[in-house]
Amino acid sequence: MIGNGANESQDQLVLRSRLPEIAKVAPWLQDRARQYAIPWNVQFAMDLCLEEVLSNIIRHGYAGAEDRPLVVKFTMPRSRYFIIVVDDEAPYFNPLDVPDLPPVGPNQQMRVGGQGIRLLRRFADALEYERTATGNQLRIGFSVAASEVQMK
Amino acid sequence: MAIAIEELTGGITKVTLDGRLDILGAAAVDMKMNIIAGSRKAVLVDLQNVSFLGSMGLRSLVAPAQAIRSRGGKMVLFGPNESVEKVLKTACIDTLIPVHHELQSALAALQ
Repeated sequence: MIGNGANESQDQLVLRSRLPEIAKVAPWLQDRARQYAIPWNVQFAMDLCLEEVLSNIIRHGYAGAEDRPLVVKFTMPRSRYFIIVVDDEAPYFNPLDVPDLPPVGPNQQMRVGGQGIRLLRRFADALEYERTATGNQLRIGFSVAASEVQMK
Repeated sequence: MAIAIEELTGGITKVTLDGRLDILGAAAVDMKMNIIAGSRKAVLVDLQNVSFLGSMGLRSLVAPAQAIRSRGGKMVLFGPNESVEKVLKTACIDTLIPVHHELQSALAALQ
């Protein structure tokens, strides 16, 4: 579902499963922010959620395999509400089933990426997971109105 | 991500980070942060120009802070923007590493 008749190819980003590929996300989101007038704090939330989701798919889902696809689609199903959809071809895994790690204690070793799920839940306004025929799909919702309430 | 180090009076080291503290940014600063963590005891990390902070970047802050504290020192964070601070609070990093928005209070916390 693409909003406002925007160019479908511009609203889709295809990455390969290498961590440096995640650097393509920020400029792509900046273009979406310009096109759809996304407030900066919502753009930040999208950026953060994608960093966490994509890095987890690359490091864990694809377990280091470097040429697997990740497809990121941007949609605006209604005014001031955006959904970013991430599709992969990794083994089935629902990140929403993973409990939050406890906050890092003063003498605890901080696990690499260990706070990613916590950040995803805090910064996304909606999360939905679905198994697809070939892998996993995560839909991440962002509401401008909700972000305005949080900022007050 | 750029990192600049400045020695202030009173034995305080100011580390200024500039850019995105994402996966790549964290990799770019980790070595210097580890060197600072092993050699300094009063460290102020200036986050005013950090535009993004993800979980990998959190680790680049927490590990040095823990190392400094284990050596009897202190580290504080200064000037994160609202979204960066929300990341710090979500991960409860602000309970491990004090966050200041006034430079004088940040420096005083290191005395």
